[in-house]
Amino acid sequence: MPVCLLCQRPSDVKLTLPWVLSWQPLLQPVVCAACWQTFTPIIASQACPDCGRAQPSRNPCHDCRRWGPLAFYNQALFTYNDAMQAYFEQYKFKGDYRLRRVFSQALLTRLASLKSAIVVAIPVTPETMTTRGFNQVTGWLAEGENSDWLRTKGQTKLIPQSKKTRQDRLLTAQPFELTATAPKLANQTVVIVDDVYTTGRTMRHAASLILENGAKSVVGLTLAR
Amino acid sequence: MQATELYGRQIALTVSEATALPPEAQRLTALVVTAKQLTCQRCGSSLVRKQARLPRQQFYCYQCLNLGRISTLTSLYHIPEPNEFLKKSQLTWNGKLTVQQAECAAMIQSKFATHQRHLLWAVTGAGKTEMLFPGLDWALTQGWRVAIASPRVDVCLELYPRLQAAFSNLKIALLHGHQTEPYHYRQLTICTTHQLLRFRAAFDVLIVDEVDAFPFAANPRLGFAVTQALKPVGALLYLTATPSHDLLQQVRRHELGLSYLPLRFHQHLLPTIKVTIQPRWWAKVQAGRLPLRLGHWLSTYAATGQRFLVFVPRVAQLTVVQAAIQRAYPRLHGLTVHSTDPERLAKVQAMRDEQVQYLVTTTILERGVTFPGIDVIVLGADDPIFSTAALVQIAGRVGRSRERPTGAVRFICASYARPIKRAIRQIKLVNRKGRRLRARMPVVSTTE
Repeated sequence: MPVCLLCQRPSDVKLTLPWVLSWQPLLQPVVCAACWQTFTPIIASQACPDCGRAQPSRNPCHDCRRWGPLAFYNQALFTYNDAMQAYFEQYKFKGDYRLRRVFSQALLTRLASLKSAIVVAIPVTPETMTTRGFNQVTGWLAEGENSDWLRTKGQTKLIPQSKKTRQDRLLTAQPFELTATAPKLANQTVVIVDDVYTTGRTMRHAASLILENGAKSVVGLTLAR
Repeated sequence: MQATELYGRQIALTVSEATALPPEAQRLTALVVTAKQLTCQRCGSSLVRKQARLPRQQFYCYQCLNLGRISTLTSLYHIPEPNEFLKKSQLTWNGKLTVQQAECAAMIQSKFATHQRHLLWAVTGAGKTEMLFPGLDWALTQGWRVAIASPRVDVCLELYPRLQAAFSNLKIALLHGHQTEPYHYRQLTICTTHQLLRFRAAFDVLIVDEVDAFPFAANPRLGFAVTQALKPVGALLYLTATPSHDLLQQVRRHELGLSYLPLRFHQHLLPTIKVTIQPRWWAKVQAGRLPLRLGHWLSTYAATGQRFLVFVPRVAQLTVVQAAIQRAYPRLHGLTVHSTDPERLAKVQAMRDEQVQYLVTTTILERGVTFPGIDVIVLGADDPIFSTAALVQIAGRVGRSRERPTGAVRFICASYARPIKRAIRQIKLVNRKGRRLRARMPVVSTTE
């Protein structure tokens, strides 16, 4: 019997007559309804237009007003709450690669609705590739490999972002570079995908690098905000 | 990393983490990958290729993730156990064993000495821990490394202070999932069975307490861990009040020795189970009424002040049952407890302190708790959640004190399910042996 990926309880899928007659394959949900409800989706009409944070008004939030102008905005799918934190703990830090399937479908659907030809995921360092063994972002989108044309400058990350304070994070220098294999970016809209948007520093570094190389605009897509 | 941290252990490290290791450390493959099979070398699980996959043809074990991920990117590091211990007696306990307990303790010691695999079937409330002391002391005097493991962390937490008191000059390691203290190399280790996955050929003597408890029986990895943590010539002792079918099968195949301790420390027999068939008990309770028999029992309890536990199969039934009892007998004062209840410990303590007369609970209170002189009622005892072991353990909550060595164990169920029959049979069997033992020993010892 299939079990929920998050709580390991058997999921009870009811076989209905319409399904039997539809001749479609049985779609097994990867997580149970109870676990899914612990995540809070962000509705576009109730979020900051620049960073995607859930808030009542459509005006840029106080964090976004502090950033300079950039042809960039971010969308987020879920609020970063306790359930999301627990998910990242299990997926990224404990390294349970199976959990990519929990949000894979949701992210791919949103990505398709953005209708952009060029999609790139924030890379992880080569060192992370040898310890964690996968890129958590491309795990949702594709095969868990780094994107081939956006890469990190350093081999290792000295201090992980999650261990820094807000001030330290904002002072981080440009960590990314483009390789020769990058596609033509001139007058294109590029979608950058990342796991969490916290201060926006990482996302904006990647965005400004791509904008400097001629892109028209950049859209960020993150799982959580 | 110090060499002592790796003695008899197997620690998963990536290449970059494994730089500062002592030279004698051995490197072992973490996952064996063949064309057809994928096997974790730590927990022994056979893995499904599609689920264990990582990018770049790498694999990881999804079964023992909680102990830190083990994958083809890591290796296991291990140093064979050198037994660097003092060879002297450390026992500071000066209590006395009853005649049968002493007999049993001598038997345990002889099993250790001859490196045997053995099962000790001792009834609930027999005083198992004390019987281990002579054998443990003997093994420690030989310079052997010894571990006591249990599937349940609360059993470990309860054992630790008792053993520390008995061996007050010996440093004991206590390992479990919530432990914040770092690991230390010690001659005597108390740990959960999960922690055994981190050991390899470490122990000369391994004792597994409450071997039938969840999750040991349902989890083949833990059985693997026991074999792996024990030296090839080590002695293994299983302790239980309710051996599983599988263990008894091993006894029948002569892979495991068996001995009984069928009498409790106060030399009384186990209380027997009384079953009442009441097919629509749940519908009645839902309608706010009590099944007839249950009402009779409760009215007696309300009059006498006798304390009792009510077991139900599901968490959702707790409040309904309690509401029905409350409505029928407002004088009875009780609480409900379940495993994820934030006030669980406080409520159990309230029952211990006799502040409440009863608890309505799920199987979490089936073992490891003693409320002196209680009665027990199990509603829906035929529910699949109550295994034979669970039912025997529940019955074992009754009659644990010298002052009230008997009591009533009552089941209300829709039918005689197989686990109920087996539980009744098991208690009868043990009582038969107990009666025989009592007849053999006319002098009833009264020492503690």
